[in-house]
Amino acid sequence: MGLNRFEYIEASSIPEASRFLADRPEEARIYAGGTSLLLLMKQRIARPAYLVNIKKIPGLRYIDKNDGTVRIGALTTHHDLEFSPLIRRWLPVISELEPEVANIRVRSTGTIGGNLGFAEPLTDLPPVLIAMDARIKVADESLERLLPLEHLFRGYYETSLRPQELITEIQVDLPAPFFGIKYLRFSMGSDKPLVGCAVGIRIDPESKLCVDARCVLGCVGPTPLRVREAEEALKGLPYRVNSSAKAARIAATACSPLTDLRATEEYKRAIVEVLMRRAVEEAFRRASSKLQG
Amino acid sequence: MQDNVGQSIKRLESESKVSGELKYLSDLKLPGMLHCKALRSPYAHARIVRIDSQRAAKFSGVEGVLTRDDMVDNPHFDSHYGPVLKDQTVVALDKVRYVGDLVAAVAATRLDIAEEALDLIEVEYEELGAVFSFEEALAENAPLLHEQVSKPEHGFVDLADVNPVEGTNICTTFHLSKGDLEKGFQNSDFVFENVFTCPSAQHAALETLCAVARLERNGGLTIWSTVQNPFVIRDQIAELFHLPVSKVRVIALNIGGGYGSKLYPKLEPLVAALAWKTRKPVGLTLTREEVFQTITKHAAEIHLKTGVTREGRLLARQCRIYLDTGAYAEIGPRVAKKSGYTAAGPYNIPNIQIDSCLVYTNKVPAGAFRGFGVSQSAWAHESEMDLIARALQMDPLELRQKNLLEEGGEFATGEHVHSFGLRQCVERVASALQWGEKCPPPPQKHLARGKGMACLIKATITPSISSALVRLNEDGSATVYVGTADVGQGSDTIMAQIVSQELAIPVTHVQVVHSDTDLCLYDLTTSSSRSTFHMGRAVQLAAQDIRRQLACLAGRLWNCPVEEVLFANQGVRCVVNDVVHAASYRNLLSASFGIKGANLVGKGTVKTEAVQRNGEPLTSAFWFAGAGAAEVEVDRETGSVRVVRYASAADVGKAINPFFCEQQLKGGAITGIGLALMEQLVYQDGLLINPNFLDYNLARFLDIPEEIIPILVERAHEEGPYGAKGVGETALIPVAPAIANAIEDAVGVRVTDLPITPEKVLRALQEKEQKAQLLEGPTPGRS
Amino acid sequence: MTRKKIILSVNGVRNEIEVEAKETLLETLRNRLDLTGAKLGCDQQVCGSCTVLMNDLPVSSCSVLAMDADGCEILTVEGLGAGGALHPIQQAFIEHGAFQCAYCTPGLILAVKYLLSRFPRPTEPQLRHYLAGNICRCGCHVEILQAVRSLARRAQENQL
Ligand SMILES: Cc1cc2nc3c(=O)[nH]c(=O)nc-3n(C[C@H](O)[C@H](O)[C@H](O)COP(=O)(O)OP(=O)(O)OC[C@H]3O[C@@H](n4cnc5c(N)ncnc54)[C@H](O)[C@@H]3O)c2cc1C
Ligand code: FES
Ligand code: FES
Repeated sequence: MGLNRFEYIEASSIPEASRFLADRPEEARIYAGGTSLLLLMKQRIARPAYLVNIKKIPGLRYIDKNDGTVRIGALTTHHDLEFSPLIRRWLPVISELEPEVANIRVRSTGTIGGNLGFAEPLTDLPPVLIAMDARIKVADESLERLLPLEHLFRGYYETSLRPQELITEIQVDLPAPFFGIKYLRFSMGSDKPLVGCAVGIRIDPESKLCVDARCVLGCVGPTPLRVREAEEALKGLPYRVNSSAKAARIAATACSPLTDLRATEEYKRAIVEVLMRRAVEEAFRRASSKLQG
Repeated sequence: MQDNVGQSIKRLESESKVSGELKYLSDLKLPGMLHCKALRSPYAHARIVRIDSQRAAKFSGVEGVLTRDDMVDNPHFDSHYGPVLKDQTVVALDKVRYVGDLVAAVAATRLDIAEEALDLIEVEYEELGAVFSFEEALAENAPLLHEQVSKPEHGFVDLADVNPVEGTNICTTFHLSKGDLEKGFQNSDFVFENVFTCPSAQHAALETLCAVARLERNGGLTIWSTVQNPFVIRDQIAELFHLPVSKVRVIALNIGGGYGSKLYPKLEPLVAALAWKTRKPVGLTLTREEVFQTITKHAAEIHLKTGVTREGRLLARQCRIYLDTGAYAEIGPRVAKKSGYTAAGPYNIPNIQIDSCLVYTNKVPAGAFRGFGVSQSAWAHESEMDLIARALQMDPLELRQKNLLEEGGEFATGEHVHSFGLRQCVERVASALQWGEKCPPPPQKHLARGKGMACLIKATITPSISSALVRLNEDGSATVYVGTADVGQGSDTIMAQIVSQELAIPVTHVQVVHSDTDLCLYDLTTSSSRSTFHMGRAVQLAAQDIRRQLACLAGRLWNCPVEEVLFANQGVRCVVNDVVHAASYRNLLSASFGIKGANLVGKGTVKTEAVQRNGEPLTSAFWFAGAGAAEVEVDRETGSVRVVRYASAADVGKAINPFFCEQQLKGGAITGIGLALMEQLVYQDGLLINPNFLDYNLARFLDIPEEIIPILVERAHEEGPYGAKGVGETALIPVAPAIANAIEDAVGVRVTDLPITPEKVLRALQEKEQKAQLLEGPTPGRS
Repeated sequence: MTRKKIILSVNGVRNEIEVEAKETLLETLRNRLDLTGAKLGCDQQVCGSCTVLMNDLPVSSCSVLAMDADGCEILTVEGLGAGGALHPIQQAFIEHGAFQCAYCTPGLILAVKYLLSRFPRPTEPQLRHYLAGNICRCGCHVEILQAVRSLARRAQENQL
């Protein structure tokens, strides 16, 4: 179906975009890559009266590293991430996952700001980024604030952003030494994932024991879910089939997937359990391979 | 000559296809064309209490609104149509029967205006009870979809016996029996009973449905449509509009994939009625969602009961098939018949009873789908074959070999099959996958591999008729006129190859004019994998007609016997008294007629009968045989299935273009993998909830096997051109059961309802494990 | 509703066109520029039959606003090849018979163009991942992969 009628505005600065959004909180929507928004409009789920294109705002598309932090501008596309040498060098888990995200055309246009700001439950980046304790920088007309990415997500398609706020930057600190991370996604015939699971493990180089862990699930609840109990189950232990199975069971119970046309709730829990087990094993392997390397 | 029959030449239209120049219907615009948009029912079953389109009609840019008010007592056209039963209406009259049923339509100068005007049509519905499952539809006192149904004036001969069962939702039934079923079961050592189900699916041709109609000055109608059988559309529109067929012209351009979805009237009655009302050309292109709401594949439930001896001889088989045709019969009755014929499988079984029942429900109508009902029945009988083999501890290949229908064998219908290379198909797919050798164990523990196979028999529409014209042009080139629609299968090229072979001219000198009811002679349909056999033969006969005429001309010119005239190198030759006479066609024509500009026209007709020469009934002019074998890898922990290798064999009679045949086998295998593993339409209270490609997934590059092995078996058929039969549908049919059988080989579980989702496999694995634990007895510590 | 003049360079030709806000790039190409090679298939960024290259990257033209493409370089299937000759990818598609109905072909050819520009010698997983977003319902995947592999081989031979 064709798109509904709307007015199209190109913002040239963050304050300008923010002001426009503040004035028409119900009617205006941010248009970045448009991949998610246009889909929604075509299905008539959204009928915004104004689209505010933020892509003409200069200085929001970059990938930098300084002071041990990788900074990614909100307008950076999936494609930029996929082929960025800097990402490949410092956050290879993202280069590894990107070819599986959506399809090449969505990746060419879809932005990281849109991926996070849209807060769709079926996405890949949030669990990985949360497992790396990513922060986002959020700005409105006059103020800027920094918040843990985990705090952005409130519910299905719902964020803690105020209508006039934009995500401007994503920050990821370089992984600590002896940290390994693995993201596994399960999908069935679709461009979108059914279940995603990110596990980060930091080990003590001497004892090989896990000193810190991150277990984050995607697609199995209204928001990405950090399963702290599963993390605790891994801490203080070396890699063991039993402990990873235990963490996996905890995760499978902790999440709240919905039965939908692709799979039932039980099946998604079963997949969470499998992915978690496999991801824990690989994350441990990666953490300890850094020992040798 | 390298263009000859048997050569894999490239499609004639190849360049225009890769350059993007080839025009499909939605690429064209008629001057002054209005754009149409349809209003569809939000209810599964409801009475229309009131419909008011005045506001929409007055909306600026709107040129016409079609509602039931235009249908009542209109002397110019009828309200009802349908290829087998006249149960469809141009727009809804008294009630709507599924979510998406046509209620009204707007024609406007712009598409977005038409879309906006829809919101201005006021409709008041009174909801009625609806039926969505076989159980609900067949229950006593079930709400009825159709109270009364009439038949078209000139229906199909093979469907003359189709009759709805009054007072029920049964659209039609089909019965076939042979031998003595009860005795067969009594003599059997084992009797197996299983139920298999397949969901409704969608064809998902990338080009959606599209139609344009124009009212001509003489009161006639010209219709452009994405349609595979233009003559059927012509006849239906003529009957609907009380016009002689000579005043209805139906043209199909190149079609962006059909697979059965582009047969029989879909949008044509609607655009024609709006063109009649507005007196302007009207075009309608469906959105993807609307295509999903227009036509689907029949969901089926199949009950099989099979009696076998200890040695694995099939003695008796009973098949009960329920097919869900949705809200309208469409071509469902033929699907019921075709899946009925073959429900017992391609086996030599002395006692057979088959009953199929076509049921109306308040869902999207189902129609032809690549395989025409046979993929549903083969899913059942081929799954059951492996269940039997497993129980008898016999190799599934061996069980099949013991029972296969052989050349000259008696089929369920009582007739004897000829030109039937099933055994070769079965044995060659088996050896292609090194049947009998264990798959090498995959590196990871949670993965397991296995092999499975399946085979099939399929009929083609019989009786039927196809005619072709070939024109020899004054320069010695030829033009062939065929009603066949090229949906991508390469029929134009095949026809050109046949003309090239017969007239000894290069393929590039053959022009193909296709699927235009004004230019071409009658052809029943491009479906049922019938075009090569029927139209190919008609073209061959037409070309031979030209040869006869050429021989006469040469004979007269050179005073030689016509039998001695030879055809080579774009011309004729004859040796008379040791003198060699030779002339190009061009020269022969101008010499014979004494003037430039003489043509020859040849005509060929193929008509198949319902009775054979020996008096036996003929339900199918020829029988397709095919087989497939799959090697799969199953993830025991997630239930995911990956097809690693697939071999696909079909008896094509003779491969006129081997590459095209192999392409059909490979393409069918890939589509089949999607249908086997993921495709399924999902309804919630009558609402189709996945009518789009985001939610209805098709096989992608990530899902195809590492290797697909196409195998052509050539058992010539005496009536086909050069022995050729057809190949379009055979490849898809065995895929799902072959995969299910391979899964059982790999991990020992059986899925009986399609699609085989990872979830079903995992659940079956879990159940198997639980059973194994129960058998081991109570675990210590628990009592 | 906003109307705006945009500048769209399509297949090397500069166009100044007035478009509406709700117009997609696909609609502009097909309805205003009569370039019908890109097709509407799913309208959801899933099938790829509307694929065009925008500043050398593949996009779903069904889901890009025309106004958003202002100033961009667009390549459609019509712009491949030079002086009436077919582009090597088009030739390879013919050579390997990589289509039946060909409704998917224009989009796939551009997807392949991008793939080979990014990975002149793609691995098997790369082939599958970067073409996965283009659906071919006729099931010509095997032939398409053969065509792409042959192009990669040729590129490699030419380099040696
Ligand atoms: C077919 C398809 C398949 C997909 N598959 C996957 C997948 O497998 N994995 C995955 O992770 N994702 C997937 N996606 C989602 C994809 O990642 C997102 O579409 C994309 O990243 C969104 O970016 P965008 O720039 O296009 O957002 P837009 O569509 O432009 O924006 C969507 C909304 O996000 C919000 N927004 C955008 N930018 C900002 C900002 N800077 N600050 C605050 N809010 C903002 C606004 O509310 C806006 O309306 C898929 C999408 C499609 C269409
Ligand atoms: S039509 Fe654009 S991706 Fe399918
Ligand atoms: S060739 Fe028909 S969809 Fe690809």
